[in-house]
Amino acid sequence: MCDACGCNTHTHNHDHHHDHDHEHGHTHRHEESVIIDINRSLFAANDAMARSNREHFDEEGIVTLNLISSPGSGKTTLLEHTIEKLGTEINIGVIEGDIETDRDAERIRAKGVPVIQLTTGGACHLDASMIHRGFHRLQKEPGGDKIDLLVIENVGNLVCPATFDLGEHRRIVLVSVPEGPDKPAKYPKAFTSSQVFLITKTDLLPYFDFPVPEAQREALELNPELTVMDFSATSGEGFDTWLNYLRTLVTQARETI
Amino acid sequence: MHEMSLVQGLFQQLSSIAREHQATRIIRLTMSIGPLSGVVIDSFQFGFDILSKEDDLVRDARLEIVIPAVTYRCSGCGHTVETTGARPEQCAACRDSLLIPEGGDDLILQQVEME
Repeated sequence: MCDACGCNTHTHNHDHHHDHDHEHGHTHRHEESVIIDINRSLFAANDAMARSNREHFDEEGIVTLNLISSPGSGKTTLLEHTIEKLGTEINIGVIEGDIETDRDAERIRAKGVPVIQLTTGGACHLDASMIHRGFHRLQKEPGGDKIDLLVIENVGNLVCPATFDLGEHRRIVLVSVPEGPDKPAKYPKAFTSSQVFLITKTDLLPYFDFPVPEAQREALELNPELTVMDFSATSGEGFDTWLNYLRTLVTQARETI
Repeated sequence: MHEMSLVQGLFQQLSSIAREHQATRIIRLTMSIGPLSGVVIDSFQFGFDILSKEDDLVRDARLEIVIPAVTYRCSGCGHTVETTGARPEQCAACRDSLLIPEGGDDLILQQVEME
């Protein structure tokens, strides 16, 4: 402090900050410290970027989803099936998040929609600035300039992604039947911050102890606003409810532009 | 382990705060870590201990952590109860089980002492 403000010299001027609230005797000993009240959220920078992303999506009339789940719950499979069924009526774009590899992006690219892969190089979640940069990359892909529905597949992890707003309109948390029904109780933030709880791989219900009503009740106790759906990619059961949910979101967004 | 990246973000903030106040050394900082913030306190402390060794500004800084309470409001009767984070099974007043948390979900840099 003193080296910088020059208080040991005779030319001491007072244009530096002294906005601390403790008693300050102005003795200016060399070791003097200052105490500053900051009261700033560490999430503030990410939240500000997320708001800016959301405003941008709103201006462009793009509905954005953020899929979060443990690894292997079926996020990419859900996306593949969604593109197969809706790809002709809705322009879908995808941002894939993974720690390493672009395997998921390859699976989505094979379905013929614009996609980019974000590899976090070890980080356990996507954040709003990655999405900001990723979306501009996606717009340069063929078809990337006319997206109605942007789906972000987050890094497979039920903990960290729940803390980071990406600027999405709807957060979808997936739990597959083999994972068990206690995920809402164990990972509450993923459920309190989401709008949709999607139970996947329901064709496996006969083989696993997964009481759907219990999982549903626990999730709704955490977040009464949650919409709960279930679906099996193998049998196709429950899929129409999901597709209609997406159609409604996209239609509403088109009407509000 | 998103705590590591949160600590990195914290150090960036501290660096600009120190520059603004012409400080070269952080002595102490106070973080408020909400029980519903999704931040594991031990992991945050661990990340702080590891990463501070690589940065002269914070090498000797003392991390103080305060944990705010969470208020649960009954969606039926409005009765509120403060807890350290855990959700009460049901409302003590009306036995409703829909209790909505308020507060306790943020991660806040409250105060910095530096020289």
